[in-house]
Amino acid sequence: MDIRVVTEGDDFASRLAQMFENVIHQGHGSLALVFLIGIIFGGIIQYTRVDKFEKIAGFAMLKDTIVPKMLFLTVGLTSIGLYFMIEAGWAHYHVKPVIWQGLLVGGTLFGISMAIMGKCPGTGPVSIAEGRIDVLVGAIGGLFGGLVFTVYYDDFFKPLMGESLGKLTLPEFFPGHEHLVVLIFGVVVSLIAILIPKIEMFDEADMKQLPDEQRPDMKQTKH
Amino acid sequence: MSRLPWWTGGILMSGLLLLTFSVFGADRPIGASTYVPYFADLVFDLDPEKYSYLKEIQNAGAWEGVMLMGALFGGFVTSVFITKSFRISLIPSGWKKHKNTSVLSRLLWSFVSGFFMIIGARLAGGCTSGHFMSGMSQMAISSMIFGTVVMIAVVITGKLFYHTKEQ
Repeated sequence: MDIRVVTEGDDFASRLAQMFENVIHQGHGSLALVFLIGIIFGGIIQYTRVDKFEKIAGFAMLKDTIVPKMLFLTVGLTSIGLYFMIEAGWAHYHVKPVIWQGLLVGGTLFGISMAIMGKCPGTGPVSIAEGRIDVLVGAIGGLFGGLVFTVYYDDFFKPLMGESLGKLTLPEFFPGHEHLVVLIFGVVVSLIAILIPKIEMFDEADMKQLPDEQRPDMKQTKH
Repeated sequence: MSRLPWWTGGILMSGLLLLTFSVFGADRPIGASTYVPYFADLVFDLDPEKYSYLKEIQNAGAWEGVMLMGALFGGFVTSVFITKSFRISLIPSGWKKHKNTSVLSRLLWSFVSGFFMIIGARLAGGCTSGHFMSGMSQMAISSMIFGTVVMIAVVITGKLFYHTKEQ
């Protein structure tokens, strides 16, 4: 889809204006709605505190399971809802292709980085918004990563990703039983979320702001 | 420090995903890594005509760029007024406890991991939001592969990188 952008100029301010203009014309929700989706997204992440180093790096150390519990529950519930929305014509599939090398190399790099930074590209900005300077430095690193990826895309990264095997989904492998597959997938993934034992790593800097009887870490040792 | 339990967060996030996917909402998934190269191209003033990748991500990058601005705003307001967790800090408590107390070390590792995180996400075609949440919700095979590889890499790195034995 080609979008005609009328804002001229290639300085930073003009290109930012072109960004807004692009969103207005690309037909994926109004500018206000996209901004609102962002606000809710950031609000949920902040309010559940899953952007904390202790939650993400804590999971890497297997000392905290809040992030996988919330992620799996989100996927389990959404998969069932989304499937029936698509059946009803209220939504469409936007499946990413299976590109083995890209997924293996990219996933490995991503996982290592996520464990070390204790953030991912969705939770990072929320951490920056709450004043975490170390994450801001990480985001600057990310900008350089994005620059290198863009510049060497044709010569290096695209060949590295390898061939696409197409946009496959799980129900396609069970023709005639799609509904059942979706239901089983949704229920099993939600059950995994519930069954993962809840363990938490707390941040002393947060905890010492609370009186003893409100500290969740103290409560846990009493039980 | 008030906060929502994980299951409330999961239900709300699921609602937001369904809204975003629906034709009444944005008719697309939530993603949160394409905006990084998009902003890099703005900041370093790359010519969109010269780089094929920049052309590929024009629309997705712009969409996520606006969403990210919302996320920054939503995160800031929530941290100041609801969870009251806003504070300027250079090094997480968990890093001090399980890695080291050097601010320089934390900042350097942040920079390096930020760099490779974006390369990794763009190679795989998505991140925790685009692949794990949006992709697995569509039961995409690519996202299940990504999720599995990331989980394994995260846990192995956690074991090797941090001192996890209780002192």
